[in-house]
Amino acid sequence: MRALNLRTKTVSLGGHRPLKVQLARQGWVFSAPAFFIIAGITIFPILFSVFMSLSHISLTYSGFKFQWAGMSNYSLVWSNSLFQYALGFTIIYTLVTVTVELILGMGVALVLHKLTSGRGFLLAVLLLPWALITAISAEMWSFIYNGVYGVLNAIVMGLGLAGHPVIWLGTPMLAIASTMVADIWKTTPFVAIILFAGLQMISSEVFEAASIDGAGAWQAFWRITLPLLKPTLLVALLFRTLQAFGVFDLPFVLTGGGPGHATESLAILSYQVLFEDLSFGPGAAIATSTTLIVMAVAFVFLRVFRVQVGDSESST
Amino acid sequence: MRIRNAMVLVSGSLLLTATASGFSPGGLVRSAAVQKKVVTIVWYASPITDTGVRKTMIQAFEKAHPKIRIKLNTAPTNTDTMRSTLTTAISGGATSPDVFMGDVIWPAQFGHNDLALPLSKYLPKSFWTRFAPGLVKGASYRGAVYGAPFFMDAGFLYYRKDLLAKAHLPVPRTWPQLVKESKLLQKRKLVKFGYVWQGADYEGLTCDWMEVMSDAGGSVFNKNYSKVTINSPQSLRALKFLRSLITSHVSPAAETTFQEPQAMNVFDAGNAAFLRNWDYAWSNSNDPKDSKVVGKVGVAPLPTFPGQKQPGYSTIGGWDVYVNPHSKYLAQDLTFIKWITGGQAQTILATKFSEIPTNYSVQKNPAVQRLNPVLKTVHNVHLISRPSGSPVYPSVSQAMYSNLNSALAGTVSPAQALKAAERQIHAAVSKKGL
Repeated sequence: MRALNLRTKTVSLGGHRPLKVQLARQGWVFSAPAFFIIAGITIFPILFSVFMSLSHISLTYSGFKFQWAGMSNYSLVWSNSLFQYALGFTIIYTLVTVTVELILGMGVALVLHKLTSGRGFLLAVLLLPWALITAISAEMWSFIYNGVYGVLNAIVMGLGLAGHPVIWLGTPMLAIASTMVADIWKTTPFVAIILFAGLQMISSEVFEAASIDGAGAWQAFWRITLPLLKPTLLVALLFRTLQAFGVFDLPFVLTGGGPGHATESLAILSYQVLFEDLSFGPGAAIATSTTLIVMAVAFVFLRVFRVQVGDSESST
Repeated sequence: MRIRNAMVLVSGSLLLTATASGFSPGGLVRSAAVQKKVVTIVWYASPITDTGVRKTMIQAFEKAHPKIRIKLNTAPTNTDTMRSTLTTAISGGATSPDVFMGDVIWPAQFGHNDLALPLSKYLPKSFWTRFAPGLVKGASYRGAVYGAPFFMDAGFLYYRKDLLAKAHLPVPRTWPQLVKESKLLQKRKLVKFGYVWQGADYEGLTCDWMEVMSDAGGSVFNKNYSKVTINSPQSLRALKFLRSLITSHVSPAAETTFQEPQAMNVFDAGNAAFLRNWDYAWSNSNDPKDSKVVGKVGVAPLPTFPGQKQPGYSTIGGWDVYVNPHSKYLAQDLTFIKWITGGQAQTILATKFSEIPTNYSVQKNPAVQRLNPVLKTVHNVHLISRPSGSPVYPSVSQAMYSNLNSALAGTVSPAQALKAAERQIHAAVSKKGL
């Protein structure tokens, strides 16, 4: 953000070239440490992981032995039915959870926005699921879903909706749905709070003008709130999609990827292949494929929404 | 962020990889020179029973060997997580931990990938005779022994003495008899469920499966691992039997999500007549803190199918002690291993912590047996190993438990599940899998 502002300033100063160069140099100096740290902890390992995905790797007493493998790991992975299923599962999981979270989150944000009292308390309560460590909330959900003692079965049977206990995590369809519900419970607050912040930034004058012009609440929402909220929505959408696509902890704790392979996401599969089967090449190929897919999705979102996130303030 | 986490996980191992390439196991030679000084070695071990086994062991060892100090590093209780941690560290060339506790199913994978030292190269033949029969073979891969058996475990049938007495029933010796008695007890409203076991989608199901499948005369591979034999009429009979336990409500419908703790909870709450579990279930079900059935529990070998040799099969579990091939203190590591598998340590293990010792003379000692009732049963059980002689055993086991679990849940037929398991095991051993 700051870098952007600096740049627009220098542009407006036009002819003063030395100042511009000086600022640019300062900018580089100040950002260099951060750049090297990021390079060290993300860029280098990512490149190395790409290299691994292109190698046959064997373990020996004197360390790893690499042998060029070309694309063979990728063809092995992409033609494997477990990978294909995990890819399909991850895509559907992402689509469903992110859509539901955006709709619910929007509703919650609108309510929060209209509230005049108790907002602070509600915000704190809302943040609770999001603030809980996923491994812990997943354990809690596994108690809720427990087929023998689970509270959900007590409720369902108490209401007479089922005559016998439902095994929520025992069959594929139910396990997938149950995992999605737990995810939606946990991350809807995150979406709600981002959208709430976005709503706070929209000037109330716009709505006053609209109501003077005779716009109803529904019209105002579609014509004013939603378009002005677009940059915020994109942020929420991007974050959630990236997270959902890499989902690991929730199904790992809740179902271990089961029953069968029903809730096995790409991240769980790559963990199993890398660290349990010690197939480093194919495991890296899964991880790299996942990264590329996510990058492509993010790129598409940015293009479709045609929003320059950094300039959002100036457009309002 | 989560995808980033996965990447960091990957990249963590990558960074270690980078440092590993220049590493050689030259440290082994140096160990003789430093023997005079006090040396500290690192032992990586999970909490075992959570009752202080490791600390007691270390204190006794340091007393016997004052020149060696042991630093304890606690490992996660989940065997797969523990393995991931170890493979990441050792494949990266880490010299610590020096010795580590490891599952009995690891020797092939660790041996194949040079993640453990072949101990048989460094310890004389006479050393290995101290262990109970079959254990050394289980710790071997391609002629070398990689782990020293530390304590062993096996599947047992736990039953409610009081309920059987009330209904005048004997301890079941066959599976149909167990079903019949369960139904009777359930019908008389003496207990909610008949039999609880491990049916979830994880390694434990493979253990339970090995028992019932072997009872029916089935196998996963032929003798020299050259052919996958799991898809057989014998296996089908075993799987249909397990599924029938659930459909007939002898086992709860939630059985397909039960690991050891869930099955244990149902039994300890007094809601099941029979339980299949490991050796620790004895002390667990007799602990008034967790259990409502204290003093009402009996233990016996598992049942089998009618007409088969008595008793039924029990899957071998337990833990070995391995040495990191990059350890700088081999002499001290071996001293520790000799001590921990010796008479003093194994007696402590058996009498104070009710584990099954691997040391044969301790196991047979009547004084020890008096203090550990499970030990009397262990000599009567019929042991079966998981097919962990293959370095791709984790994939083989996964192919079994994930498909079997689907059949237990009723989403595929038993025949379909066995066919799928056969196909996936074949892919795993012929390296066509991931």
